[in-house]
Amino acid sequence: MIFIAILIGCVVGALIGMNAPMISYTYSSYLAIAIIAALDSVFGGINSVINKNFDLKIFLTGFFGNAILAILLTILGQKLNVDIYLAAIVVFVGRMFLNLAIIRRYYVDKWSNMLKKDNKETSETED
Amino acid sequence: MNKKVISIVLGIMCFALTFGICVQVRTVKNSNSTVSQNYEENNLRAEVLKYKERYENKYRELEKAEDQLEKERQSSTQNNEELERREEEIKKGNKMIGLSEVTGPGVIVTLSDSKQETNSVLNPSSLLVHDADVLSVINELKNAGAEAISINEQRLVPTSSISCGGNIIDINGEKVGAPFEIKAIGLPEQLSSLTRQGGYLEFLRNDSIGAELKKSNNITIPKYTGLISYQYAKTVE
Repeated sequence: MIFIAILIGCVVGALIGMNAPMISYTYSSYLAIAIIAALDSVFGGINSVINKNFDLKIFLTGFFGNAILAILLTILGQKLNVDIYLAAIVVFVGRMFLNLAIIRRYYVDKWSNMLKKDNKETSETED
Repeated sequence: MNKKVISIVLGIMCFALTFGICVQVRTVKNSNSTVSQNYEENNLRAEVLKYKERYENKYRELEKAEDQLEKERQSSTQNNEELERREEEIKKGNKMIGLSEVTGPGVIVTLSDSKQETNSVLNPSSLLVHDADVLSVINELKNAGAEAISINEQRLVPTSSISCGGNIIDINGEKVGAPFEIKAIGLPEQLSSLTRQGGYLEFLRNDSIGAELKKSNNITIPKYTGLISYQYAKTVE
């Protein structure tokens, strides 16, 4: 159910994004950092769904808060001539890998349990 | 937590995410900036793109203001014959010095660099279209009675100059590259006499440079986008 929703969201987003008007080049660096923040939030959301502690309020505030904070940091970095957005990217991508590892472990465990059960059943029937 | 709500929220988030990615990819592709490893170079390129955008925005504002001025002028001169006559004079003058877009019959001359290999001839420079070639073609067009001329959408005005700028040429201080599409408004039959035997186009073709002339009944030549300022020339009373 959840993965079907994610798939539909991705396909519709891609289709509309292909035909949407382009933004000006000045703001493309802000959009880029917002995309990274959103990607992190989505992976975090999937992770919390798996751990069964999904909270809509926390998820939504994280989605927008992270993106806005990242954009503000990018602007501040441009004013100070320091690439602060690199720090945001490091944090977001690091968390993305962490969440991805948890998701992967969950599904690998589930899959191997299923295999074990199958093997047991087949061995029982053989006996 | 309701599973339906979770999936809807995640779906919407993914929609926003892929939408953003697509827009970003298209923006980056459109600005055709190849990402270089050099930090300095990237910064300079981004700066140039930003300034270009700002310039275009300002120019659009200027055009809007000019439209408004035109409207104001029209409404204020509506009921005054003397002013209307002056208005006509201004329009005529603008047409002559290239400050208004003009359309009419004429020819399109296209000059493009030769497609021959550079090592197949003694002098590779003879395979390129130079500023002098463009100047000569312009001269012949004027001689044949062209009333308005543009090169790659750069309008020629009384203060225009054509000069060599390396592998491009400078027209009105703007950089213009080959192939050169020279549009001229005038009597097409007269202007097409450029293709005559011994004419300059024939001379260019002998050097295997592509020189095409096409008649057209509907040519639009843009207006001059720069500023014509007269500081020293005073009218004699």
